[in-house]
Amino acid sequence: MSSVGQGQNGSRWGEALRSGSLGTALLFLAPALVAVVVLRIWPAGLALWQSLHEPGAAPGFTNLGFGNYTYLLSDPVFIESLTTTFLFLIIVNPVQIGLALLLALAMDKALPAAGLWRTLMLLPVAVPQSVSAIILGVAFRPDGPVNALLATIGIPPQGFMTSTSQALMTIIMIVSWVGVGYWMTFLLAGLRDIPPILYEAAEIDGANGWQRFWHVTLPQLRRTLTFVLVANTVANFLVFAPVQILTKGGPQGSTNLIMNEIYTRGFLSGDMSGAAAATVILVALVIVVVGIQFRMMTERAKS
Amino acid sequence: MKANGPWLRFAFVVACCVVVMLPLWWAAASALRPSEEVFRYLSPISVWTLIPREWTLSNFAALSQGPFAQAMINSALVTTLTVVIGLVVCSTAAFALAVLEYPGRGVIFAIMVVSFLIPFDSIAVPLSELFRGLQLQNSYAGLILPGIGNGLAVFMLRQFFMAIPKELSEAAKIDGLGWGGIFLRIYLPLSRPALIGAGLILFVFQWQAYLWPLLIAPNPDYHVASVAIASFAGQYDVDYGQMFGGAVVTALLPMAILLVFQRYFIASMASSGSKE
Repeated sequence: MSSVGQGQNGSRWGEALRSGSLGTALLFLAPALVAVVVLRIWPAGLALWQSLHEPGAAPGFTNLGFGNYTYLLSDPVFIESLTTTFLFLIIVNPVQIGLALLLALAMDKALPAAGLWRTLMLLPVAVPQSVSAIILGVAFRPDGPVNALLATIGIPPQGFMTSTSQALMTIIMIVSWVGVGYWMTFLLAGLRDIPPILYEAAEIDGANGWQRFWHVTLPQLRRTLTFVLVANTVANFLVFAPVQILTKGGPQGSTNLIMNEIYTRGFLSGDMSGAAAATVILVALVIVVVGIQFRMMTERAKS
Repeated sequence: MKANGPWLRFAFVVACCVVVMLPLWWAAASALRPSEEVFRYLSPISVWTLIPREWTLSNFAALSQGPFAQAMINSALVTTLTVVIGLVVCSTAAFALAVLEYPGRGVIFAIMVVSFLIPFDSIAVPLSELFRGLQLQNSYAGLILPGIGNGLAVFMLRQFFMAIPKELSEAAKIDGLGWGGIFLRIYLPLSRPALIGAGLILFVFQWQAYLWPLLIAPNPDYHVASVAIASFAGQYDVDYGQMFGGAVVTALLPMAILLVFQRYFIASMASSGSKE
């Protein structure tokens, strides 16, 4: 691209057209571009348009307005699903990432049969969420094996998914069964990338194990941890299969996470515009939460 | 670390692995025992909780006769086509984003990555309305299409293509090969590991899919395995033996594939640091 003279930009376009590389590129790009437009941009736009233009269950809806949103935000069921989702995220993210980090640290140093343990922890990734929900759902039944196990160590039977206070925790245990091994794999890769010389230097400076973790491992792992935190948050925002299969949001709305709320609203109550508005709120929340997490993680780096 | 440190570490790792594998083991054991014995050896807990006392393949035999067999065929078909078509879509896009030069390439790359960052499940409901408008409900096309464009696969293949020396394609061009030939005869053959990694991403996405098939293919003829499994749980008279049999089959196939290609999957996760 070393054309001399005026109109650098114009000559680039001209050259691209003359050599046919633009046409070739479009040909190569076309299927993916169509997929992006039809499968992501169009439905996202559709949800926004529909939420603003079509009356659903919202009373007194005018042609263009926020009727669906004001209706949704004054509906206690929707508000409760939002608070449940946030409660869920506040518990599930630290639990999964904390356990994954502990495991990654434990596996980072030499262990007998290290590859075997890493593989075993990763295997549940392959299991569809509906399948793990089915298996663990039966395991957590009041008459299931988990209570039988608790009985042998003298703990009285628990309600698990039938109890309003335990159902959300049970869903958390079910999604963590897959999540911990998955995020561990990323964190382990991140730990392997830390130059050993940093640890050697810290050791010469007399740092103990905890100080090495705090001053070397954590800062060096920041990029990986940021990614894991963000990706895990997004994944947990969208948890659906265990809820829909096992609790349908109950008992008494205690597990009604936002994806289940959108599904119930759109397909069981037939309020597609309300579901569209809820979808827009969900996407906005994901963007905001992810933005805040990025901010926090990069600011911590500066200080 | 203290002398007991490594042992503590080892015990923690093994304990986690046991917790992770126990449900799968129990599901497999339950699938291999007569259906009426699934809940029989629970209390008190004994070895018979985890090892079938009476072995049988009757659950699998029953599954192969019922609607679950069709669901497995659907899953296999949908997933295979997703991987094949998805690899074509993603690798051509990655080639255009990594190798071809034209103005606006950076912008197109940004648009593509950012749009694919919208989590698919979050827009599944409006998309399913769109697809119903296009008469794509209860069809293989409706099941397959959302899986074919995957930002992570595009990103990963692009990274790989960029690492291939430009001299190769320049030499080929002098020999009279067009861009199509360069793509097919130079880039693709050199990219087998990346293609396997991208294929695994497409495979796992489609095999795991639950919300989308539930929305777009409610007709039992088009149920995929992950949905068929859930419909077991919805029945009044649940046959637990068959349910566990189906769960084991649905879990084992992707696990076997992951075991074989594990290193490509880990490499793709580590290199991209991004997940769909």
